Amino acid sequence: MQPSQGGEGDRDLMARLAAGDREALTPLMGRHYRRLYRIALSYLRQPDDALDVVQEAFVKAYLSASRWDGSAEAGPWLSRITVNLSIDRWRRNRRRAQTFTPLADGDHAATLADGGPAPDRRLEGREASERLATVLRGLPERQRAVVVLRHYQDLSLEEIAGTLGMSLGTVKSSLHRALRRMREGLEGGRP
Amino acid sequence: MTLGHLRRRRLVSLLAAGVLEGREREETLAHVAECPRCREEHDALRAIVATMETDPLREAEPDVPLAFLVARVEREVGQALVPRGRPRWWLVALPATAAVVAVALLVPSIVARLRPAPRAAHAEIPPAEASPLLTEDALARIERNLAREHAARYLSEAGDVLVAVAATGVDCNRADETLDVGRAPERSRALLERRTMVVRGGGEAVASARGVLDDVELTLREVADLPSCVRRRDVERVRREVEERQLLMRIRLMTRELEG
Repeated sequence: MQPSQGGEGDRDLMARLAAGDREALTPLMGRHYRRLYRIALSYLRQPDDALDVVQEAFVKAYLSASRWDGSAEAGPWLSRITVNLSIDRWRRNRRRAQTFTPLADGDHAATLADGGPAPDRRLEGREASERLATVLRGLPERQRAVVVLRHYQDLSLEEIAGTLGMSLGTVKSSLHRALRRMREGLEGGRP
Repeated sequence: MTLGHLRRRRLVSLLAAGVLEGREREETLAHVAECPRCREEHDALRAIVATMETDPLREAEPDVPLAFLVARVEREVGQALVPRGRPRWWLVALPATAAVVAVALLVPSIVARLRPAPRAAHAEIPPAEASPLLTEDALARIERNLAREHAARYLSEAGDVLVAVAATGVDCNRADETLDVGRAPERSRALLERRTMVVRGGGEAVASARGVLDDVELTLREVADLPSCVRRRDVERVRREVEERQLLMRIRLMTRELEG
């Protein structure tokens, strides 16, 4: 977990939110919105959807701040909301995809921020990103969440377990199965 | 496969994922060094992990400023907090009052229209409660810019799809002279799905692009109906349409205009 994103500051802000202080939203969002956006984007691979999910996550956080367990860190709690909302969004998109197929992930590469890979490396990154996206899509929802939190957010197994509300053993099994499925998928086998 | 094998395979995966520590890590490393099959498995998984660790999405930034997102969240929160409980008599009284007000407003307006009088200017809509962080004007400007950016991106992607179809020279099957248009049909369908959002969501901000958007839509609809292997004459038809409507040039000009 990123050290600057937990701690007393978050607790204070959450306490203020719980008391109905809307002013606390801005600093809380400032601390977490990029991270939550990257979680949602890694999961959904659609920038617009990811942004919607982040917005929903903060609305939900505000509305349920009074139910937040004050002893817990706000970061994992917000991540959990974001993962759950991403899964919901993914399910909705999948239902819609019975009629339409979304654009490939590489098609959204243009929305990545400045400072991305150099132009000569972009194609390579884009191709790799597309192939990854395809195999990630083939993973069961929770396995994909574990992979995203581990390999896109660099969370430890314990942090993933805390974020997703899973046991440590389940996180390990999920990660193992997910990586094996991804390998099969990338090598042309059935994911 | 024994339980021991299953456990080892799991440990090899976790080693590749970089989450093993201490003695477990040392033992698994030693095992991988001795077991060619496990080493091959480890290296393959490690390559996947390395690809994820260099995926550009890890560094992606939201394409809207924080203030915009905060304003959106505050607006949503404000709407969600509007008290919902009302006495039941309102269920009857509200529609009745609305009907009376509507009649009171409509009758003079109908009478006025029957007279040859100049049209009254529309009353301005009172501004919503100002955000403490962003004024309504600033928010509207950002919304407008975003709408235009989305439209520009949409047109640019549509242009890519049309070029991909019109310029394809890849044989699908030489025997029946079909050409491969790849994923152009499915990308067209996805773009058509986004079109409504671009046009309706964009409103006045993208009004100047309506003509191009409409013509692009017509051609995208044709491409969306194509299979991935297409008869040469179908590709020719799309190419002709793109040329006759001067779509690529108009897309380029409109994209520039929208991007300001």
